[in-house]
Parts: sequence; structure tokens; C-alpha cells
Amino acid sequence: MDRIYRGGFLRFWSWFWTANFIIAGSAFGGIALVVAIRGLADLRAMLTALEMDRKGKEDP
Amino acid sequence: VNFTALDWIIVVTYIAVTLAAGLAGKKYISSASDFLLAGRHLGKFIGIATLAATEIGTITFMYYAELGYKTGFASFVNGLIAGGVMIFLGATGFMIFRLRDLGLTTVPEFFEVKYSRPLRIVAGVLVAVGGLLNMGVFLKVEGTFLTIISGLPVADLKWTMTLILFLELLYTVLGGMVSVVITDFIQFVMLSVGTVLVTGYVIYTIGWQHMQDAVMANLGANGFSPIGNPDYGWAYIGFQLLLWMAVDTCWQTTAMRTFATKDPETSKKVFFWTGFIFLGRGMMPMLWGIGALAYFGPNHDSLQAMPEMIARILPTGVLGIVVAGMLAATMSVNSSYLLGWSSVISQDIVLPLRRQPLAQRSQVLLNRVVNLLVSLFVLFWGIWYVLPGPVYFYLNITGTLFLAGAFAAFIGGLFWKRANTTGGYCALVGGAAGSVTYFFHIPPAYAGMSAFALAAAGMVGGSLAAGSGAMRPRSTRV
Repeated sequence: MDRIYRGGFLRFWSWFWTANFIIAGSAFGGIALVVAIRGLADLRAMLTALEMDRKGKEDP
Repeated sequence: VNFTALDWIIVVTYIAVTLAAGLAGKKYISSASDFLLAGRHLGKFIGIATLAATEIGTITFMYYAELGYKTGFASFVNGLIAGGVMIFLGATGFMIFRLRDLGLTTVPEFFEVKYSRPLRIVAGVLVAVGGLLNMGVFLKVEGTFLTIISGLPVADLKWTMTLILFLELLYTVLGGMVSVVITDFIQFVMLSVGTVLVTGYVIYTIGWQHMQDAVMANLGANGFSPIGNPDYGWAYIGFQLLLWMAVDTCWQTTAMRTFATKDPETSKKVFFWTGFIFLGRGMMPMLWGIGALAYFGPNHDSLQAMPEMIARILPTGVLGIVVAGMLAATMSVNSSYLLGWSSVISQDIVLPLRRQPLAQRSQVLLNRVVNLLVSLFVLFWGIWYVLPGPVYFYLNITGTLFLAGAFAAFIGGLFWKRANTTGGYCALVGGAAGSVTYFFHIPPAYAGMSAFALAAAGMVGGSLAAGSGAMRPRSTRV
């Protein structure tokens, strides 16, 4: 009985962590790819906004 | 030496590009707000990149791999909680929406807005002490990783640490948050490539089934169940849930990203998507540690097993890309942490103690000087301090030193009308008192839980004891 419980118990955790790992790894890779592509435009927008802020401070 | 000429070329090219990009950030600095928060212009994607890069360092890979090596698949619970809590905060906007709405610059500033200026200074001291002790061990652990993986002599460890720090300091001092965000973007791409590459090689070389068998053979059922594992259990899970709620809302380097986003809606989106990255940030390096357990067996040095395994399984060229990725992770974390703790010292301790306000230029100069001093402390602490146990638990507890009290004070300040300054003091003292019990051989789960419990009791007890006369009108500052 104990062996059956331990077998089922271990099988549950083994599958649970395998599924979690697949989700985590896929999400990490997918989001990293999207951010690498679209982050550059965001970065440019941030620098443009900072440049405008700076010019605004220089021109009274 | 594990490195070939090709590996060195890849690493040196990466460092040169990062430095050039970081130094370019200097021209955009015209105020303290630009220096500390990049003018609050962070969009969703660059926000995800900088938040993820800030909280993914070589130190992260090392301590999570150590947990994987020691506790097997059960360690995955740490990654699940870290990612799950962040996804929850991003989906609901709990706390982070209101915090962004307040227009803060640093975490201790909240204490002046909601409580009082003296409490801000006390919080600033606690945040700075906890943060510096926390960051103090980064260089040593990162230097260990880089010397092992590159095959440099161990005698060169101190010089490796000094060089890493000098490079980060150079662009952080000059360009502040703008440089940090620019370099974080490059570093995020590099560290993501490195992380995925190492994970693929570990699974391919060692094999998923072999890793499961190794955990079963060496750790038994405790290597799979976080409930049965003596290092974890329900108390630990409860502590981690509270800790990660506090880290995501009150940890200076994370909170700076919340404060730097364009608006509260953007901060919610940044947290939601970064939460998914945090799942992998935990579980992938833990798997490397499990791979090292399968590769070396259980009697290896738990901290050094992972880098030694990587140095052996990765081929030339790939090793260079991975080390550049790890170096990117190291630099992104350290530069953000340098800026984070320096900003607390300058904005929440030095400036509030001055009677006369400082001009913008002087504030930027002050921040740069504090940056330099923090770097010197980190360098010397990293050289002589000996860790009392696993790196992860040390980092948890030094963070909890102020996080427990700050979290209780944040919750009180945001959601409880009777919260007052006395409650804030009691919360900070209670949280700090609970967390230092770890250094008296109390297990981390109990030390951490007692810190949060004492902080909450301090907040409620102190506020009720002081009564309504001690209350401060709610600030409407945005």
C-alpha cells in the first residue's frame, strides 16, 4: 500500500514539475524573443522623450 | 584555461559594445529624475527587459543551481512562487498600481508621503543596510562562477571581481538609469540566449530521465516534494509567498522599475509578462544544478558544481557566448543594484537630513559620489565575508531585514486608514528583529515568517496604541 502511495505520489510530482518546466522554458524563450524584437522601438521612444525633455529645459 | 581565442573575442566584443552603449546614456541626463528613473519614460517591452535583466544575474543562476543540486526538483517551488506572485500582481495591479500612481522615486520616500520624514530616514537606513549586505556577496559568487567557467586561476578571483565592478561603475556613474536601461536591453538579449543555450545543452548532454533518476537515487522522494523536503515545507512556502509579494512591491531595484514606467497600466503589463520570465529564471538554473548532481554525484561543492559542469559540457564558441551572456547578467544586476542602493542613501538619508535643498546638478553629483562609495563597500565586503549557509537563504534574510517591515507599512499606508507613524516604526523594528534570528541558527523559514508576523503585529499594535491623534492626513501627491 505504502509503495503504491509513494509511486503515485512521486509520479504526480514528476509530471507536475515536468509540465511546469515546459511552460516556464517556453514562456521564457517566447517572451524574450518578442521583447528582443519590439524592445528596440520602445528604447528609441524613451530616448526621444528624454531628448525632448532636455530641450524643453534648455529652451525657456 | 577553458577559453580559446574565439571565446575571448566574443566576450571582449560584448563588453566593448555594452560599454559604448552605456556611456552614450550620459548625454540624456539633465535632472535627478532622468538619472534615477529615466524620466519615467519606460514602455512595456523595455520595461520587461530592464526588470528581467535587473533580477536575473549570475548570482541568481548560482544560488538557484545550488538549490537544484541540494534539493532536486523540489527546488522548483521557488521558481513557481516567484513567477506566480509576479503574474498575480501584474494581473490584479495589487499595490503596484497605487505605488506608481504616487509618483515616488525611492521606496523609503513612501514613508514620508504616508507617515513622516524621520520615519523615511529610518526606513532609508534599514533599506540601505539590508541592500548593501545583500549585494555584498554578489561579486564573490559571480567571480567564482566566471573564474571556474573560463578556467582562470582562482588566485585571480579578486582581480576578476574588481574588473567586473569597475566596468559597471563606469557607465552607471555617468549615465544613471538611462545607461542602465540601455545596457539592460542588450544584456537581457545576451543573458536570454545564454540561459536557453545552457538549458538545451544540459538536457541534451545529461538527459531528462537521467536527471530524474539521479534525484531519486540521491534525494529520494524529498527531491520531488517541496512539502516533504526538510528544507522547505508549508512554513517555507508561506514565507516565500510573503517574501515575493514584498520583493515585487518594496524591493528598491524592482520598485524603481515600477516608478519609472510611463503610467500605472504599463507597470501592470510589465509585471504580468515578467512574471512568466521569472518562472524560467528560477526553474532553468535549478535544472542546471540537478544536471550537476547527475554529472558529479552528491559529494561535490554545491556552489561550484554547476559552473564546473558547464565548463566541461559546452564546446568552444558556445562557451564564449554563454560567458558573455552570464557577464551580461552580472553587469545588469550589479549596475541596477548600485544605482538602487545609492539612490536610497542620497535621496532618503543625505537629502532629508540637509536643511537646504540641493540643486539638480548637485543631486546628480551626490548620486555619483555615493555610487562610488557603495562600490568600494561591495568590493571589500565581497572579499572577506564568509557565508553562513546556502547563498539563497542569506539573500532572503538580508532582504527580509527591511522588506518585512516595509511591506507591513506599505499595506497599512495604502489600505488601512488607522495606520500611523508609530505603527510604521514598530513594523520596521519588528521586521528587522525577526529576520536577524537567522544569524542565531533559527531556520530561514521560521526566521522569515517571524519577521513578517512581528512586522504585521507592530503595524497593527503600534497604530492602535498611538490612536487617531498620531495619524497623518492622507497625501494626495501624484
